[in-house]
Amino acid sequence: MHELAIAQSIVEVVEQRASECRAARVKCVRLQVGEASGIVADSLQFSFTMLADLSPILAGARLTIASTPHRAHCRQCAREFAVQHFVPQCPTCATWSAEIVSGTELQILDMEIERSEEVVRVSRCPE
Amino acid sequence: MPRVTIAQNILAPNETIAAEIRQTLAARQMRALNIMSSPGAGKTTLLERTIERLRDQLIIGVIEGDIETSADAERIEAAGAATVQINTRGTCHLEAHMIRDALAEIDLTRLDLLVIENIGNLVCPAAWQLGEDLRVVVMSITEGDDKPAKYPHMFAVAQVLILNKLDLLPHVDYDLARVKRQVLAINPHLRIFEMSCRTGTGLDAWCEWLIEFARGNGSDHGKGW
Repeated sequence: MHELAIAQSIVEVVEQRASECRAARVKCVRLQVGEASGIVADSLQFSFTMLADLSPILAGARLTIASTPHRAHCRQCAREFAVQHFVPQCPTCATWSAEIVSGTELQILDMEIERSEEVVRVSRCPE
Repeated sequence: MPRVTIAQNILAPNETIAAEIRQTLAARQMRALNIMSSPGAGKTTLLERTIERLRDQLIIGVIEGDIETSADAERIEAAGAATVQINTRGTCHLEAHMIRDALAEIDLTRLDLLVIENIGNLVCPAAWQLGEDLRVVVMSITEGDDKPAKYPHMFAVAQVLILNKLDLLPHVDYDLARVKRQVLAINPHLRIFEMSCRTGTGLDAWCEWLIEFARGNGSDHGKGW
């Protein structure tokens, strides 16, 4: 259910950046979402579409979600492995001394925008 | 079509406020707990019993999160702790800005420990930092012994697990050893307290530990955020 709150945060961040870039429209927003982040992609898509349609600059924007696998690095074996069901146990040496290396991400990567003719010449957005 | 880099953690605005809260509390050498569970696991009863037992040793302030009603805040007040109620009106978790606003209503100079009782929900609160030093999950045995495997995220981000309602163990099919195996596999650093808030079993060990925690002892609480 908190996907709605996450979607709201995305819309706020994107609207802010779009305004800084003087974008006329945002066409697409790309996210990186780890499989252990607790986010359900379908639910986030649904919430985003609902909120984006209320925003003049975001209406009709696509949300692209790239998923990253839950992986950990075993200090003992000095190798990476896939974490199954949140259990960070090394499948080789069975120890629990692993560090999570991916899977908890919840990031907005970038967005595709359309600018009005007047501002197309602006080559870079303010950082 | 221009592509604009954003590269921002979606929860960053919340985490910035949480860090400010953490700094405010640290400046007063005060520690904070975030207590989370399913609805009905016994968070409020745990707080009532804890506040009553520690009345002469710790002054505890409570931020009470509920979707509706001030019923729990009234219970906590009656137990003897200063309380601020947050009603989220539908939001399924507390967020850091709610805690920041609630803190404006609390006289921190009078407190030894701050406790935040989150919304009853074993999923969403796990994602929101509130500026706490420690996350406590309360799980009652009547919820069934498959919950850690089904809701692993919550157990992965917690440092303390309280297994509550143990007095009901003879009446339910609940494999305590299985639950401990599950939670420790997800989070080997989790500290477990077995308890019945109804009979009082296990409360002494928890309260003794909490006093040490509030005094700033025992810095190793497992995984941080």
